[in-house]
Amino acid sequence: MSYTLTIETTGDEIEVEEGQTMLDACLRAGVWLPHACCHGMCGTCKIDVVDGEIEHGEASGFALMDFERDEGKALACCATLESNVSIEAEIEEDPDAESIPVEDFNATVERIDDLTPTIKGLHLRLDRPIRFQPGQYINLTIAGKQGTSRAFSIASDMSDPTTLELNIRLVPGGEGTSWVHNELQVGDSVHLTGPYGRFFVRHSAQMPTLLLAGGSGLSSPRSMLLDLIARKEEQPITIVYGARNRSELYYHDELAALAEEHDNVIYVPALSDEPADSEWDGFRGFVHEAAETHFDKDFRGHKAYICGPPVMIEACITSLMRGRLFERDIYTEKFLSAADVQQTRSPLFKRI
Amino acid sequence: MDMPAKPKKKLGLKERYAVMTRGLGWEPSYQDIDDIFSMDSFEGIKIHDWDAWEDPFRLTMDSYWKYQAEKERKLYAIIDAFAQSNGHLTVSDPRYINTVKMFVNGFAPLEYMSHRGFAHIGRQFRGVGPRVACMMQSLDEMRHAQTQVHAISNYNKYYSGMENFRHHHDYLPYLQVPKSFFEDAATGGPFEFITAIGFSFEYVLTNLVFVPFISGAAYNGDMGAMTFGFSAQSDEARHMTLGLEVIKFMLEQDPDNVPIVQKWLNKWTWRGVRVLTLVAMMQDYMLPKRVMSWAEAWEIYFEENCGALFRDLERYGIVMPPCVEQVRKERDHLSHMAWCQFYQARGTSNFHVWLPSEEDMDWLSQKYPDTFDQYYRPRFEEWRRMEEAGTPFETTGINMQCQVCQIPMFFTEPGDPTRLAQHHCHHEGEQYHFCSQWCQEIFEDEPEKYIQSAIAGHDVFKGKAIRPEADPTAEDFNPAAEALAFWKLENGRDNGLHYGSQDERNFSMWRGLASSNS
Repeated sequence: MSYTLTIETTGDEIEVEEGQTMLDACLRAGVWLPHACCHGMCGTCKIDVVDGEIEHGEASGFALMDFERDEGKALACCATLESNVSIEAEIEEDPDAESIPVEDFNATVERIDDLTPTIKGLHLRLDRPIRFQPGQYINLTIAGKQGTSRAFSIASDMSDPTTLELNIRLVPGGEGTSWVHNELQVGDSVHLTGPYGRFFVRHSAQMPTLLLAGGSGLSSPRSMLLDLIARKEEQPITIVYGARNRSELYYHDELAALAEEHDNVIYVPALSDEPADSEWDGFRGFVHEAAETHFDKDFRGHKAYICGPPVMIEACITSLMRGRLFERDIYTEKFLSAADVQQTRSPLFKRI
Repeated sequence: MDMPAKPKKKLGLKERYAVMTRGLGWEPSYQDIDDIFSMDSFEGIKIHDWDAWEDPFRLTMDSYWKYQAEKERKLYAIIDAFAQSNGHLTVSDPRYINTVKMFVNGFAPLEYMSHRGFAHIGRQFRGVGPRVACMMQSLDEMRHAQTQVHAISNYNKYYSGMENFRHHHDYLPYLQVPKSFFEDAATGGPFEFITAIGFSFEYVLTNLVFVPFISGAAYNGDMGAMTFGFSAQSDEARHMTLGLEVIKFMLEQDPDNVPIVQKWLNKWTWRGVRVLTLVAMMQDYMLPKRVMSWAEAWEIYFEENCGALFRDLERYGIVMPPCVEQVRKERDHLSHMAWCQFYQARGTSNFHVWLPSEEDMDWLSQKYPDTFDQYYRPRFEEWRRMEEAGTPFETTGINMQCQVCQIPMFFTEPGDPTRLAQHHCHHEGEQYHFCSQWCQEIFEDEPEKYIQSAIAGHDVFKGKAIRPEADPTAEDFNPAAEALAFWKLENGRDNGLHYGSQDERNFSMWRGLASSNS
């Protein structure tokens, strides 16, 4: 038996299993709540229960006072749900978040492109228009697997709101991506829900944009870039995009053309494993190295958005921070695997 | 028709906090701001934008009182119940009381020092945000000192070694280890103090202090101490987040701050771990019912938790302090070396010691398979034979103490457990001694500071451990007896062996009275 937890501050809705704490459910769903000790002693994760019944669990009488319990406070790290529950948490309001409700969509596969030897471009025609913020993702239901879905970032912009493009890399042995690569055919019907995620451009900051993309992680940055151009953004936009070799670097020509066409768009491609004797005359190395070289290790005054495999994200964050750009200006989309959740992190950083 | 007035929108938590804290600051008009805040620049830390400070918590004075009042009510209800039910007789074993003695003498005064330190820097930072946060912590620390003293005063009614805790903290050789740690921090600048206490101690090392003492209290039936632990821990979260925010703030404000912060992290990690020698010993030797070994605690709370922290700090270019390599090598030796020292020098402590039993030693060899049987069990067995022969071994001299950490020079070289570590250097014609390369480096970085260290053992030889009323020229003057009198240590009652001590005999007698009719 699971219940729905609504975080009214952000509009997120997540499922909480029986006996699972609110904090655990939120963190696993990618909703960050302030927390520290994780066992009811410190009170960092205190939240307001607006509606519904909860059980306080092991919350210490010193960390959660009686008068606070009477006022509807709870410690997310200990509290479990006894019904569907709505809470308010101390999460900073984001002026750029549009809080678009998640909906279900049916769609038809309109086209499948071979973008690279390992990445397919999936073009879907939806049964009605979708609204999303470029950078967000959807959950695609795997056919024949009721309730099993996979998250994919949207690679298209909103110029045609009834189409979505997804760029999907074949993960060896991966159930979802194998189905997309090996079974899905043009004309098939699929089901998806969305949009999800807090990864989108902070237009209100009015600052130059730096997009860092690795492999099929180009999806979100490409969507963001197309949208920024459509909005006639005048601030500088730099996109650093890397892949192993030239054959994996898809949309290279499109990005080069966009940079050619728009004075404020700079495109920096990078290949990390291109044969030494090839004709490639661009940067050779990883995305973070290309960015360091291009910006001479000084990233101050940007808003940076990173999308790609976890090691690439980690390397980019380190490069940005050593180049004096810090957490408040760095955004990432992390698709946490079960292994990532297990890794011990300190509470030094909240989002990155 | 009257239109209902539109309800005024309540201020959000963040806005309300800003109004109640930063909103209280002002721009000085007739004084130079550098004169008002004269101390926040000499350390070399560059702050370009104090407004970039992110408040690590949002607690205003009005709600602070409300919270702390309820905590006090709960805590004192339990302390009173503990006192009225003769809770001191329900602890696992009278040896446990020595842990309580060490706590009130060694650590409660540090809470008070911390209160003073945070009050000081709460005045010295020019940013309003950190000033308010430091003031709150200053109040917490005073509350902690007070509740700890109150909780432990129950024991003071019945047992020795606690009634002079302030004097002992200042003058007893072993207590100068924690004392000098805090005085070193408090005599640094405001940024060094908050790195030392707010970050290194409250964040990096806090679990290694808290868990052994508070879980130790819980395991050994000490409800009073356990409850003040929980009461304090609910404040620690604020202290920890303040420590983290300070580190981030310094590292992000200017690249020149990175090497300064690294130097302080190196220094204060080492200083902190040296103080934890006392905790390691308490965990492995002093708790009748044990919680976990020092080695296990180190693995969980340092290697795992702090490992994650330093991995995250690497993004700023901060690396794990190099001294950690030595701490790892000392992990399986630390508590044994310390207990051997306290056993031998038991005349100058204000708590009692004992030799580990066969069962204790079997546990120790299981927890320390690579070191205990080889290096320490034979020593304890020999001392056991000497005790049984009626000729117990005891050192009669006064130990040389490290000029920086002030621990007697009993450590062995890392990786070479039969060679005593002896480091020294010269400064203006004087020779100074150190327990390790790391304490020596700290000295050499600021020799003018550490040559002023007051070192209890050395002061005996300098003739400083003499009461004003004593006459050192008298024919029958006994400097050793005078040192004990100066320290306010009652020989044979406050110090020495546990078994047969007045405290042990009283406990057994009172417990017998409490649990039988005869």
